Amino acid sequence: MTPFPLRRPHPDMETYRGKGVTSDPDMSPYRERGDGERGVPVGALQAALAAEHAAVWAYGLAGAFISGTLAGQLGKAETVHMARRDATERALIDAGARPVQPEPGYLTPEPVTNAASALRLAITAETDAAAAWRSVIARSPADPDVRESALDALTTAAVQATRWRAAADADPATVPFPGAP
Amino acid sequence: MLGQRLIGGLAKWLTVSGARPSRRHVLGTGAAAALLLLGTPVALTGCSPWSSGREGPDQLEAPARRAETDAAQASAVAQMAAGMPNRTGAELAAAAKSLAADRTAHANALRAELHRVHTGTASTTRAPAPPPAAPPAAAPDLANAQSALTEAMHSARDEAAALVMTLPGYRAALLASIAACCATHAALLA
Repeated sequence: MTPFPLRRPHPDMETYRGKGVTSDPDMSPYRERGDGERGVPVGALQAALAAEHAAVWAYGLAGAFISGTLAGQLGKAETVHMARRDATERALIDAGARPVQPEPGYLTPEPVTNAASALRLAITAETDAAAAWRSVIARSPADPDVRESALDALTTAAVQATRWRAAADADPATVPFPGAP
Repeated sequence: MLGQRLIGGLAKWLTVSGARPSRRHVLGTGAAAALLLLGTPVALTGCSPWSSGREGPDQLEAPARRAETDAAQASAVAQMAAGMPNRTGAELAAAAKSLAADRTAHANALRAELHRVHTGTASTTRAPAPPPAAPPAAAPDLANAQSALTEAMHSARDEAAALVMTLPGYRAALLASIAACCATHAALLA
């Protein structure tokens, strides 16, 4: 049911499967020349952009299985990630970096075949995004330029993940440290 | 829906980049700071990364206390709400219980970090037990208790968010997760 052929399967599928829809949460592959110049953590931002690409893709897939009132929430959450993706691309370009491109497709932790698995995919996408943005905070200098946006992104992802968990009747619906490894 | 792009609201990066100081300015400031650092090595030896050179309680002390107070208050609300027969009471009890658990986890993590940094110093003494949470009202009032918890979560989020902007990486990330968690509880309670 994935709209694109899957690509970049991790050599170690077991490791990969536990890590959600993005390719690697710590994202060291995205470190670039000029990282940290002018205080912009380019590598961490690229990882966050990769997570936003993945989230947009995940919501596109999940949307095919979710209807009713949840579909409206899903559309809004997707729009939030699109806006975040665009803003992050602009920030990277401003920092002199070339923004990472989306993958044509992503491996999902489990097959998405119904509303319940679609909801779990949405939770995974938000969890991955939260982790990526937390990492931006950890790796940026102590000033609000980058951290304010990153905290906003982390918080939004954490709240949305909680809403999906509540919708899935998960108990508890919250986690104590959103984005923490 | 897929084709729609919303660029308002979240376009913070744009404004940030517009106001960014020039490279030369940054380099100049950096050089000045470096000179300053070179000139005052002795004064710096006493600095700790968390105190920005000034004496006083560790900046994690306040959020740790707040987490303990919130946990106590939420536990009290959970107990009170669980005694109510209606469905609202049961729901609030569940929300308050998970809030208490998360805030306890926050307090423990903050205390662990304080302990790690201050091991062997006088300030490691654990804060006295948090004051017993004042019963929200004489008569159990679910609505009041709920809004009190919501308010507490807003305050906790704001306090943690402010610290995120100034603390070093690891601590900033910890506080960021705590702020985000408080926001999720506020959203659930609202």
